[in-house]
Amino acid sequence: MAAITVFSPRTLPAVLKHRAVHKLGLLALAAAVLVPLANARWTGGAWPDALTVDLTKPLTEASTWIVDNRDTHPLFLYFFGHVSNAIVLAVRAVYLVLLAAGWAGVTALGALVAWRVAGLRLALGTVAAFLTCGWLGMWVPTMQTLALMVVAVAASVVVGALLGLAGGLSDRLNRALRPVLDTMQVLPAYAYLLPVVLVFGMGVPAAVLATVVYAAPPMARLTALGLRGADKEVLEAVRSLGATARQGLLTARIPLARKELLLGLNQTIMMALSMAVIASVIGAGGLGDRVYQALASVDVGAALAAGIPIVLLAVVLDRVTGAAGNGSTSAEPRRTGWLYALVAALAIAVAGRLMGRLDWPDAWTVRIAEPVNRAVDWMTAHLYSGVPVIGGTADWAAHFTTWVLNPLRDGLTWLPWWSVLLLVAALAWLIGTWQTALTAVLVMAAIGVLGVWTPALDTLSQVLAAVAVTLVIGFATGIAAARSDRLERALRPVLDVFQTMPQFVYLIPVVALFGVGRAPAVAAAVVYALPAVVRITTQGLRQVDAAAMESSSSLGATSWQQLRQVQLPLARPALLLAVNQGVVLVLAVVIIGGLVGGGALGYDVVFGLAQGDLATGLVAGAAIVCLGLMLDRVTQPTERRTKKGA
Amino acid sequence: MSEAVLAETPVFSVNGLWKVFGPKADRIPADPELTALDPADLRARTGCTAAVRDVSFDVRKGEVFVVMGLSGSGKSTLVRCLTRLIEPTAGTLAIDGEDVRAMDKPRLRELRRHRAAMVFQHFGLLPHRTVLDNVAYGLEIQGLGKAERRARAAEVVAKVGLEGMEQRRPSQLSGGQRQRVGLARALAVDPEVLLFDEPFSALDPLIRRDMQEEVVRLHREEGRTMVFITHDLSEALKLGDRIALMRDGKVVQLGTPEEIVGSPADDYVREFVRDVPREQVLTVRTAMRTPTDGDAVTGPAVAPDATVSEAIEAVARAGEPARVVDEGRCLGVVDADGLLGVVAGTAKEAV
Repeated sequence: MAAITVFSPRTLPAVLKHRAVHKLGLLALAAAVLVPLANARWTGGAWPDALTVDLTKPLTEASTWIVDNRDTHPLFLYFFGHVSNAIVLAVRAVYLVLLAAGWAGVTALGALVAWRVAGLRLALGTVAAFLTCGWLGMWVPTMQTLALMVVAVAASVVVGALLGLAGGLSDRLNRALRPVLDTMQVLPAYAYLLPVVLVFGMGVPAAVLATVVYAAPPMARLTALGLRGADKEVLEAVRSLGATARQGLLTARIPLARKELLLGLNQTIMMALSMAVIASVIGAGGLGDRVYQALASVDVGAALAAGIPIVLLAVVLDRVTGAAGNGSTSAEPRRTGWLYALVAALAIAVAGRLMGRLDWPDAWTVRIAEPVNRAVDWMTAHLYSGVPVIGGTADWAAHFTTWVLNPLRDGLTWLPWWSVLLLVAALAWLIGTWQTALTAVLVMAAIGVLGVWTPALDTLSQVLAAVAVTLVIGFATGIAAARSDRLERALRPVLDVFQTMPQFVYLIPVVALFGVGRAPAVAAAVVYALPAVVRITTQGLRQVDAAAMESSSSLGATSWQQLRQVQLPLARPALLLAVNQGVVLVLAVVIIGGLVGGGALGYDVVFGLAQGDLATGLVAGAAIVCLGLMLDRVTQPTERRTKKGA
Repeated sequence: MSEAVLAETPVFSVNGLWKVFGPKADRIPADPELTALDPADLRARTGCTAAVRDVSFDVRKGEVFVVMGLSGSGKSTLVRCLTRLIEPTAGTLAIDGEDVRAMDKPRLRELRRHRAAMVFQHFGLLPHRTVLDNVAYGLEIQGLGKAERRARAAEVVAKVGLEGMEQRRPSQLSGGQRQRVGLARALAVDPEVLLFDEPFSALDPLIRRDMQEEVVRLHREEGRTMVFITHDLSEALKLGDRIALMRDGKVVQLGTPEEIVGSPADDYVREFVRDVPREQVLTVRTAMRTPTDGDAVTGPAVAPDATVSEAIEAVARAGEPARVVDEGRCLGVVDADGLLGVVAGTAKEAV
């Protein structure tokens, strides 16, 4: 026994090392054969022109054809046309209802729903949030965004629940759906914009559809997960009583999956809000559009005035739907409560109407744009540079660009293209299987084939820099929070708020602080990805088996030894997950950073949309998809659930 | 057991039943070469696991039939095969003479709804329903109206001693109370036979004893047929009219508790029952000898199915051998030597 325990830890790393060496050796062998061949044919470091396919012409032709035929071709007339009209009508109808209810009615309804679902405190919060929206002069854009959200969320929930039901009930469909949904979840929101614009043109229908495509996957995933995760013994008990499949589904499986279904709803709403804001670049209107317009003219004050309602909306929606998932009071008193709530809301709406107070009174608004802009001007004058000792924010941004981003980008572009592929292959293979390595290499090569090798490497350099910063800060904070209860308690509300904010909002403060350019894009990405990394790290470290911790401290380990030898190794899966999440989130925001001077692929998408040059945008969008896939595969540790299992 | 009971059609009649998990499981029971293999070899050769191997037994009306074995012996799979929650691979299976394996889906549902109800190890309750609605669930599945099923459920809730808890959720109950709900749910459909799958192994020892007594009481009051799966030998001996002892999917011995303890079929069973207090299981028949002329007719009388430990008490109190008396007829005599022999385990193994 003693011999075995001493023996195994020594052999295990040896075996692992051996396997890693084995993989690298094989890769080196393949490289030794292929690289000279490739070098002989296509010299030079950049992706060889001979290997690119120019899609601009066919894509332009396709988009021209669609534009020409949008009003005549039966596919558009009888399918897309109806879809588009239905969406416009639905959004319009919801918008009119919201306006008809007036600000008092909407606020009352929101508060009463929050009260029924989540209690008094959140109801007060909801009232405060809505009133702030009006107070900032953003009532109408808020209602526009809300109308779009209502339609998009309803459609996402229906689509997601149906897909989830299919995946939850059929093993085969689940196997087919899971990789697709998993992949959709790692792609940046921007990648979804162009295809819908190609078909529907700019406008509300495209925005709603992009939102649905972006927001439905979590609902589908969680529905399937909930249906599959039901307690096996309960289902067996239900079967043993002679229930039909339908009875079992309605009385047991769906009620048992309640938590997951509500979590799915919560996530879908949050994703929809995030996308509804981003979709302003394809004509969604509403709050996102205000932010977008303001950022385009670097008007931080106006951006903030529209950004605050977005944040408030996000926090309220998240808390209320999140509370719905936890509550479980009995059914009877609840129904009458709902009735009272509904009647009260109606009464307030009617009262508001009778008093002629439908629109938010102008006298009650505060223009914060100007004072904010004055503050920003002051910051520009005093904090941007020349602050003694610490320098200024613009100095930092400039230094970060010259000392980190530029060398990284130049280094990546200097590397011969095949060595980049080789690096990707090595990383993906070390952490996963040969299949993941192959996928990663193929999608990376696809970027070259699309002819956007250089901008993609530019984006990649920003991602790498942001990920590095995120991980250093995130791991340090996460470890500190895992070791100190007080710090964790202090951090929790901050992380909660940060995690619910839509990606777009992060651009506002960084523009105020750092101006425009690549460094602000990286900063926004870091701020966006940090909460998730901190949270996953803390949870991973805290969930380390208490018995293992106890046994190590009983052996007299110092807390540093405990961290290094017990916590970190045991929390390895969580740390790897944190890396993966960090990369995915950073990419999403770096792409959006194209709006504030991040350049590269994100800029190509925005440029394509702004100039109506869909070909450029689509190619960049496809490259973003490829980059997202590659980064996910390279950082995803694959204990690939074996073919037979799950 | 009287002749009349034996002559009745058994509730369950199981013959040559197999359940094999794995690829192409069907070929295993039919192939004598494969059936001869032990579990490890079978797994290596075919990738299949035989959870139930050629099991045969009858469950008689009104008895408590215990299937006992360690984890992995196939007992849980066996009880699920009875209502085809797990589909058997081979063999015949009949309930009241009707072929279960030949039933179509509606007929099988009918069987599960009305004739056999099961109690599960981890209760299998619906967490979002109240106790009352959990108990009424089986009736709901049958399509009964709300008022009627709730009324019937309330009766059963009272029967298992949960009055006043009708409106609670399972999460607000203790383990023992949850299992009472599970038991009530099975009883509510008034099944012909109750199937228990290790119902008490997740409970604390004291609660477990209460629940065992509850089952004994229910059985005494209603006389319902029960099939009881357990890994706990003392539970098996306490509840079982007859016990089937399983190992590696096979029944190694089937008999009354006294037969299992008194004459183990092989070394495995002997090892299993080694620590059982024999005097509490074996009856005086084991220690009895035919009366000789020298025996007094004054000694205390004991019944033939009294345990040895009861006889010891009688003999010790009277200070002379006791007579075994059945309906006024003296069957034999037990003396201190004979009783000691049973306790010491030196008496002949014979029943």
